[in-house]
Amino acid sequence: MGNVALSHVTKRYGSVQVINDLSLDIEEGSFTALLGPSGCGKSTLLRMVAGLEEITAGSCFIDGVEVTDTPPAKRGVAMVFQSYALYPHMTVRQNIAFSLSIAGANKQVQEERVKEVSRMLQLDQLLDRRPAQLSGGQRQRVAIGRALVRDPQVFLFDEPLSNLDAMLRVQMRLELAKLHQDLKTTMVYVTHDQVEAMTLADKIVVLDKGRISQQGTPLELYNKPANKFVASFIGSPAMNFFKADVTGQDGNAVTLTLPGGRTAKIATRGGKASVGSIDVGVRPEHLDLAAPGTANAAFECTVRIVEQLGNSTLTYVETPAGQLIIEGEGNLQVSPGEARSVVIETQHAHLFGADEQVI
Amino acid sequence: MTAAAEASAGTIAAEMTPRQRRVIKTIDVAGLIITIATVLGAIFWAFPLYWAVVTTLKPENEVIQPGIQLWPEHFTLDAYVHVLFGTRIGQWYVNSLFTATSVTVGVVAISALAGYAISQLKFPGRRLLWWIILASFMIPVPALIVNHFVLMSQFHLINTYLGIILPQLVYGPVTVIIYKQFFDSVPKEFREAAKIDGANEFQLFFRLYLPMNWGITTALAIITFIGAWNQFLWPFLAATEEPMFNITVGITQVTDAFGVKYARDLGSAILAGLPVAVVYLIFQRRVTQAIMLTAGIKG
Repeated sequence: MGNVALSHVTKRYGSVQVINDLSLDIEEGSFTALLGPSGCGKSTLLRMVAGLEEITAGSCFIDGVEVTDTPPAKRGVAMVFQSYALYPHMTVRQNIAFSLSIAGANKQVQEERVKEVSRMLQLDQLLDRRPAQLSGGQRQRVAIGRALVRDPQVFLFDEPLSNLDAMLRVQMRLELAKLHQDLKTTMVYVTHDQVEAMTLADKIVVLDKGRISQQGTPLELYNKPANKFVASFIGSPAMNFFKADVTGQDGNAVTLTLPGGRTAKIATRGGKASVGSIDVGVRPEHLDLAAPGTANAAFECTVRIVEQLGNSTLTYVETPAGQLIIEGEGNLQVSPGEARSVVIETQHAHLFGADEQVI
Repeated sequence: MTAAAEASAGTIAAEMTPRQRRVIKTIDVAGLIITIATVLGAIFWAFPLYWAVVTTLKPENEVIQPGIQLWPEHFTLDAYVHVLFGTRIGQWYVNSLFTATSVTVGVVAISALAGYAISQLKFPGRRLLWWIILASFMIPVPALIVNHFVLMSQFHLINTYLGIILPQLVYGPVTVIIYKQFFDSVPKEFREAAKIDGANEFQLFFRLYLPMNWGITTALAIITFIGAWNQFLWPFLAATEEPMFNITVGITQVTDAFGVKYARDLGSAILAGLPVAVVYLIFQRRVTQAIMLTAGIKG
């Protein structure tokens, strides 16, 4: 097992800067997800750890040893690719044993390791098949097996589930979580799917334009987003945002005038809100529908669309602050066109300043 | 067809508008015309071959009879017996087999390695090398013949196997281009996965890139072999002694002191072309694929 440390790492392709002076510590045995939208540099960062991309500036350490200029094979890492990258002309057995065969391990050792890994991943019956004869989930397991057989210090996953259908993705997610529990090996997992990151990782690093936007446990990121980007990226449906005017601050409590003229008091996280316009963020489950004219409501609204998902109901309402999404109970009785009030659970609301950082 | 299906087909036919029926009729007529044209084309193409085979089975006096005789009056294998036992055709076959095989192995090995290097390795001058290979594609082989002859002569390689083989190794820049294109199209994840697994460039080439493009290698090998077997101009210049001739040059020696013997000449030509015909018949699909590749159409 090994920890991974990146120190002031920069990656440039010509004049394009993809990773910008980034430092990151990934603890030994952790499951860390690098999360961010397309083009944020998460895959580049992973490939830099793997040694597949040269580091323009900065250093990379694995298990305390600097590997910045070490070839991929000598870093003690194994990688699972988005496309699986299974060699199509080889059987499952040959695919799994490839690294051992390259390293010159004798046939008996290869066979034993392949058996061990295939048993762990339930691939025993598929060893003589070729990748084309396998389903998506089976291919994924072979790709993991190929990584596993190397007994690496660090596993690197580059969006490994994105080619699978929704049901299989859930199943493979579970298998990966189990694998991590069993092996306790450091795993770094790149994804743009926040659900995958939230469910698998014990630490999420959110990247935006080549910089770390925030890092922490899934719940830290969900409950205490450091900025508007993380607040909007984590959570599905996404957080509601609307503008309000700061009229005063008493300690941590900021008094706001909301669109439509009503007022609300929302606590800051210790920051000072300057008088003027401010962004308020509230997750859909922290907004409630109430009868029209409710005294403590933030807005009066008209219901536009109702989506009943069974376990919850998503209601899209038109308010003076614009369209908001409200997540209510599964059996919520509401119809499009109805007039209602929206109540904000102010203890769960977030305030963002002009620099989009949380206040 | 079941009764239900027949009934259904009948219903469909009855439901068709006159215009739909006309369209189907037009398609049938077009198909018929194309079939007839194809058959006529095939007959036109195959007739010389038929004529050659039939001629070799005729006695020489029957061959020179005026008029067209589509079938021999008297069958004889004299022409083949003469060519097989009265000439050095065995030696020419061996020469052709050896030189064509050597050229094939050489061209495929060099092209695959060159294609891999240009496609996958980063080294100074890579782009320049690629442009030179592309440019050499535009130079016709006959334009190089004098240079080759002078070069081989200076190396004292005229009338040697090496002298026949070496210049033919540079006849195929197109194979380098094809290999390069195919290696380019291999997803880079395979390379990266193998790199992480510890593979070096030779292991990447021999264990991944070459086996993953095995179909292309066999297609190119077959077409190179056929090309080398059929090569006439260079072997004709590079070998001046009969024991060094390959089959295409050798058959020009099947002459007779008393004049042209058509049956023997055609017999030697048929025997010369036979191995290539057999190779073609066995690997028909691969040859078609190779021709499409060299024409720039991916099979």
